[in-house]
Amino acid sequence: MQQEVILAMLAKEPSHGYELRARLRAALGPVGEDLNAGQVYVTLTRLEKAGLVTGTAEPGQTRPDRKVYELTPVGQQRVAAWLAEVSWPKPDLTEFHLKLIAAFAGRLADPIAIVDAQRRELLRRLRDAQRAAFGEPDNSDAALLLEGIVLRLQADLHWLEACERTWTNRRTKA
Amino acid sequence: MRTYLDQPEDQGVNSLLSARTLCKRYGRGDALVRAVDDVDLDVETGETVAIMGPSGCGKSTLLHLLGGLDRPDSGEIKLAGKRVDQLGERGLARLRRDAVGFVFQSFHLMDELTAVENVELPALLAGRSPRAARKRALELLSRTGLADRAKFLPSALSGGQRQRVAVARALANEPLIVLADEPTGNLDSAATLEVLRLFDDLHEAGQTLVIVTHDSRIAATADRMITMRDGAFVDETRLTGGTAGSLSRLAGLEG
Amino acid sequence: MGRLALIARLVARDLRHRPAEAVILLLAITAAATTLTLGLVLHGITTGPYERTRTATVAPDIVASVAPANNANQPADLANLTPLAKAPGVIGSSGPYPVRGMTLRTGDYTVPAMAEGRGQAPSAIDRPLLTAGTWARPGSVVLERSFAAALGVKTGQTIFLNDRGFRISGIAVSAALPPYPALCNVGCDFVSPNLPSGQPGLVWMTKTDLLAGATPADPVSWYMNLRLANPASAGTYATAYDNAHTAWSAPYLVSWQRVEVATSRVTESAEGVLLLGSALLALLAIASVAVLAGGRMAGQVRRVGLLKAVGATPGLVAVVLLAEHLLVAAAAACLGLALGWLAAPLVASPGAGLLGSADVSVSLTDAGVVVAVALVVALLATVAPAIRGARASTVRALDDAARTPKRRPVVTRVSRRMPPVLLLGLRIAARRPRRSLLGMASVTVTVAGLVTVLMAHAKFDARAAGSGALTNPVNTEVIHMTTVITVALVLLAAVNALLITWATVLDARRSSALSRALGATAAQVSAGLAVAQMLPALTGAIVGTPLGFLLYAALKHQGGMTYPPVWWLACVVLGTPLVVGALTVIPSRAASRTEVASVLQSGAA
Repeated sequence: MQQEVILAMLAKEPSHGYELRARLRAALGPVGEDLNAGQVYVTLTRLEKAGLVTGTAEPGQTRPDRKVYELTPVGQQRVAAWLAEVSWPKPDLTEFHLKLIAAFAGRLADPIAIVDAQRRELLRRLRDAQRAAFGEPDNSDAALLLEGIVLRLQADLHWLEACERTWTNRRTKA
Repeated sequence: MRTYLDQPEDQGVNSLLSARTLCKRYGRGDALVRAVDDVDLDVETGETVAIMGPSGCGKSTLLHLLGGLDRPDSGEIKLAGKRVDQLGERGLARLRRDAVGFVFQSFHLMDELTAVENVELPALLAGRSPRAARKRALELLSRTGLADRAKFLPSALSGGQRQRVAVARALANEPLIVLADEPTGNLDSAATLEVLRLFDDLHEAGQTLVIVTHDSRIAATADRMITMRDGAFVDETRLTGGTAGSLSRLAGLEG
Repeated sequence: MGRLALIARLVARDLRHRPAEAVILLLAITAAATTLTLGLVLHGITTGPYERTRTATVAPDIVASVAPANNANQPADLANLTPLAKAPGVIGSSGPYPVRGMTLRTGDYTVPAMAEGRGQAPSAIDRPLLTAGTWARPGSVVLERSFAAALGVKTGQTIFLNDRGFRISGIAVSAALPPYPALCNVGCDFVSPNLPSGQPGLVWMTKTDLLAGATPADPVSWYMNLRLANPASAGTYATAYDNAHTAWSAPYLVSWQRVEVATSRVTESAEGVLLLGSALLALLAIASVAVLAGGRMAGQVRRVGLLKAVGATPGLVAVVLLAEHLLVAAAAACLGLALGWLAAPLVASPGAGLLGSADVSVSLTDAGVVVAVALVVALLATVAPAIRGARASTVRALDDAARTPKRRPVVTRVSRRMPPVLLLGLRIAARRPRRSLLGMASVTVTVAGLVTVLMAHAKFDARAAGSGALTNPVNTEVIHMTTVITVALVLLAAVNALLITWATVLDARRSSALSRALGATAAQVSAGLAVAQMLPALTGAIVGTPLGFLLYAALKHQGGMTYPPVWWLACVVLGTPLVVGALTVIPSRAASRTEVASVLQSGAA
């Protein structure tokens, strides 16, 4: 769970742990349904330890979800810096790419079979994401997020098709 | 009015559509192109099959063969148990009329007819009464969410709406199978979504679909996805059954 | 100057690339031009020969006659006639000659004849000029030349007049009275019972032969020929006299001007037929040119990009098209003039009733008229598509939106209640209403011509029904000419039908392929295309039939309207759409061979 996400959600006002979790789930929709409850509180504890937030327990409470969390000035700076960042989350192409080369070179497996397997996986994910998107109202936050996921999966699938073409050509030439 | 089905069926054939060793060639000698090269295909009733592949791999040709718009050089095609590859011109016309609905990439609507007039046309050509044809057309248009656009001309409709009208038209004569050739090829992403949803609805309603596409989103709505290259099938994936993993992992939230 | 050269280059290129179209246009306009030339040549063709005949036969300026009353026992009053010889303004006379109506019988015909009794010596005024044989003697007669030609008799043969046999001693020409069959157009002043029906011809015999057999029931009239001091005033003189003396016993005067008019009527029918025929052919030619021009402009406008490379804009393309058609029209006019001049001797005869042959010449005015008409035909037909094409902007041209069919809600509503073939046919016809109208117009013109021929035939048959009756050579000539022109009309109309069908087939390719993809059979689509041509053809035939009646009424110069049997007309009205439908089979079969898929692949949305 991105630490910066939790920080940013506290920027508006201090909240209880369970309020944060509720807000996250509302923003994520189905994607957030199986979000591990503990994830949020672990992250909050880490952030508290790192001095980016302060947690004030209600009298007689030590559970994280009952604490009221608030940004520290350092935490606010961190949020500002994060918002100014323009880097896009990096997909893990390099690892897959190296995987194919290694499989071919060491005769460990057929690269095309690996590609096909990955394609099948992505297609299934695409199907699921799409199905989920259909259940959401148009223009909602959840729908927007799911569209992004779908489009990224599409892009990855295009690349996998290119991998398949290239590796097929290499095989026929070999 | 299912005249097409008034002939006795073969025994022991489960699939709705089955093709064996289909071949279609163009040109000869050095310029010979095997558009469809020895293709076998089975489609069950109620199944959605997506055929993907790069441009020029023969997927549109295959669809035209399956839909009776073109004749194979060799091989056999059976629809609901009856051979269709050897039908004469009249038999093919009846096939297109009663058993197969076609959706084209460029919609191919009649520009001078309104949406409802376009949708009722196959029924009128089949000899149905004008009233029944109009009724069915309006039903189909409301099913595709275009009831309020029934009297619009195609030029007054968006791309997605036009394709939805085309889909409604393909359903006019209650076809056994709907064949779609790059249905979202000429649409932007918003229109693609409209058509996607429609195909999903059709699938839920039990319509058998064969969709040729290079858009993986469309393919992802299918039960089965076939990859085609150079006129032949090279891969087949069953997409139904089980999710691949949690959506949050998809979103990159975990870890 | 550069633009002119460019236009010339483009015109030459187009003509080279599309020779068939240019040839069709040439033929269509040439047919109209030839007919027009012949018509103009015929105009006034009798004037010269009539003048010559007048001089050669010493023709009178006025023919005066008295006749008995219609009821018997009231003989003609000769005493009223003879004083005219001394009337003021009259400087010479001949006669009076006795005249009777007689029944003339040859081996083949039984016809009426007007017999005039003459002496042996040539008269002072009105000397019939013998072109064969010798003058009448007791027992022999001389026939007027066109009468003899119609009867098919020659000198030396025997004929029967009132059951008395006479030998034909000679054939002669006279300008005093109009030749057969126009003899009685100026009024024949004889009363004879029981004459056969038909037009009489003139016969000269001796006075004794004529007077023999005259009874109070079959009395004699008297004819006198007068010469005036002022021949040009004969017309007014005769009219004034006739108006002043209206009693039945008073003489009846006919001026030479009236005789000339009646004589020229002989060829006027033919002239009328030719002029009208050329008008019909011109209308058909306009339709052909319009269809071709419309199709061509649509094709050119689509290739705007290509043309711009040559330096052409849609406006320039329209100018090129116009220039091309005008050029072809001018060539067709020259060809038509030449053909008309060559063919003129065949039709341009002043008739057997006049001396000599006609001066067959195509005057400069005639040539000018023909060229002007040809150019106007090409202009009328090309101007509308050319203007439409010139206005087309590049974007629209590439989009081809300019030629997208308009929505026709009425047609759509009506056609959806009909069986598939009629549905397809109606919608195809309604896509291009102008073209359907052109098709209808060309059928209307053709059917009008056909009906006119049928009317003429019907009249001919009715007359021939009376056995022994003589065919009116004028009508025969009219029939022949109308038949030739109608054959030309039918051929041109057939070409038109093929052109229109081909253009429609090309136009409807996409919608036909789509209909077939939606389940219509190739046969249904072909039938629809046929229906799309047959409906305008049927309408054209129905409209053309009464037009044909009107045309015939305008053409005929005497006689009533004999309508042909209903089943003839029904054949024409029903047969024409069938023929048009059959003609569509060729282009639509050829087009339906392409597989549906390939047409749809290449087409746009």
